[in-house]
Amino acid sequence: MNHAPDDRPAPAATDRGTVPSPRRSPHTTPGPRRVPAPRPGDGGSARGRRLPALASLVLITVLCLAGLLYLALQMALPVRAFLPEALLAAALGIVTLAFGFWVLRRIRPVREPDADASVVAVAWGLFAATGAGVVANGGLGAVWAKGLGLDLAGVWGAALTAPLNEEVLKLAGIVLVAVAFPTSVRGPVDGFAIGSLVGLGFEVTENFIYSMNAVLMAGGTGGLAPVVQTAVIRVGLTGPGSHWAMSAVAGTAVGLLAAVGWRPRTRRAVCAALLVALAMALHWLLDAPLFSGVLGVLAKVAVIFATTMAVYLTVRRAYRRRVRDALGSEAEELGMRRSAAVALATRHGRRRELQRVAQPEQPAVWDRQDRMVRAAEDRAALYAGHSV
Amino acid sequence: MTEATGDGPRAQERGSLSNWVPLGLAAAAVAALVVGWPLVNALLPGSETVPSGEPVTVGAAGEYRASLTFPQDGWLLDTGASQAGQVYRFDRGPVQLTLNSVTPTTSPPPTAEELWDGMRRVARAGEASARLSEPEAISTEDGAEGLTGTLKSDSQQGAAVVYPSPDGRFAVEMTLAGQDATTADLAAVADVVRSVSFTREGAA
Repeated sequence: MNHAPDDRPAPAATDRGTVPSPRRSPHTTPGPRRVPAPRPGDGGSARGRRLPALASLVLITVLCLAGLLYLALQMALPVRAFLPEALLAAALGIVTLAFGFWVLRRIRPVREPDADASVVAVAWGLFAATGAGVVANGGLGAVWAKGLGLDLAGVWGAALTAPLNEEVLKLAGIVLVAVAFPTSVRGPVDGFAIGSLVGLGFEVTENFIYSMNAVLMAGGTGGLAPVVQTAVIRVGLTGPGSHWAMSAVAGTAVGLLAAVGWRPRTRRAVCAALLVALAMALHWLLDAPLFSGVLGVLAKVAVIFATTMAVYLTVRRAYRRRVRDALGSEAEELGMRRSAAVALATRHGRRRELQRVAQPEQPAVWDRQDRMVRAAEDRAALYAGHSV
Repeated sequence: MTEATGDGPRAQERGSLSNWVPLGLAAAAVAALVVGWPLVNALLPGSETVPSGEPVTVGAAGEYRASLTFPQDGWLLDTGASQAGQVYRFDRGPVQLTLNSVTPTTSPPPTAEELWDGMRRVARAGEASARLSEPEAISTEDGAEGLTGTLKSDSQQGAAVVYPSPDGRFAVEMTLAGQDATTADLAAVADVVRSVSFTREGAA
């Protein structure tokens, strides 16, 4: 998301979507809500972040491969014994993944998160977090069974195990993605989006494992029915309040910390810690043996979804305001109408501005819009460190 | 997450923490969970004695629950490898009794023969070389009817049994085997597979 210097001539500013190329200017224009343009020094730590980013990417790759290998070894025999069921479960997983990937990238305000970071986030959820989760949950689940007894562990084991293990493993992935792609995770909205994608990957692999377990728990009878039932319950019923939601909340915390170079003051640190605790609490609520029955589960899913949306709308509102302010500042510097620049803060606004110009000019205008929005997001990211 | 000013510029002035710190913390968290819990589990004692003559509830669905009563002393429940109401692993010397309480999802419920066919595939899902013989009729001491046959694989051989519950809503499936178990070891505890009983919920 850092940009190469623009070597094309800046076109004349207009009142419509023909946005001129962003340019730097001293902050001389007065205004009620001016957002400082990025200074050369603001990216000064980029060199210092390169090696940790590389190391993080290597670690993610290694752990994803290890998780994939472990899961493949664990699932090889069940898949071989129940191949049609496994193929259906995989197909449903691919559909879930494709739809979720599209939706969750779209929910980021202004524009989609970086594609590379998105793919790596999903991969962490699909392989590394789930592979590690199977090992950790197996260990802690057995500890509960030994410590609490089989009956109590059978009722409360999931609620005592998953919120701790799975949320931390997914959170670790969000942090690693933030370190590997420092320009892609610069604030709460980025953390929310990347977190939701990590959760999506986790959800898809977990659905596959649950489907195969359902086949075994049905005694190998019923053909494809246990797989379909699992998909209906885990995607249709609990899907709206599942891993994507909890990790989006935890990811918001990562974004808060990444925005200030991982060195928050007390208020921000407490806020981040509360968000992680909230993600764990939501996971506990879903897994706890309370409010059983379809209506009870629906109520729990509704609470989780509403809580996640409350977090989302809060960070979205703040971020869109920052981007609008940044676009407004750029408009002043470029001499264009403020409303035309601010309209670029939304996909709809950009499309509308684009449709106002002649077809042959649209690619060039789109390119300028893109660069102006990216520049505004750079400014907004700086400003993200100034708010909690 | 509302706009605030107190944390802003001052936070910037404090400078950034090296990205090695979050990277290290994340890696440490993953390592702690993946290594820590299995280690704690390994350090805890993993089995508890199951007294003979006392019924152990092993599953329930519909109107019935199933229990298993060991005729012999010396059986141990492997708590770490068991899950209440679903999977139980019992050990007695070299002999292992694995009990699965399975819940078919279809209506009408599967027949005993269909359950046996499903059990063949479930056995192969645990060990690729596992094979079940053609089944024969068997009944519990209480008279519940089921099917039994031999289990053979590259690593072990023994017996397999399935008992559907009276209303067919669930079934108890067992394998009695052990990698180091001799025919005499298995014969000495063979009657355990007939000690399953189904009780109507709410009945005395």
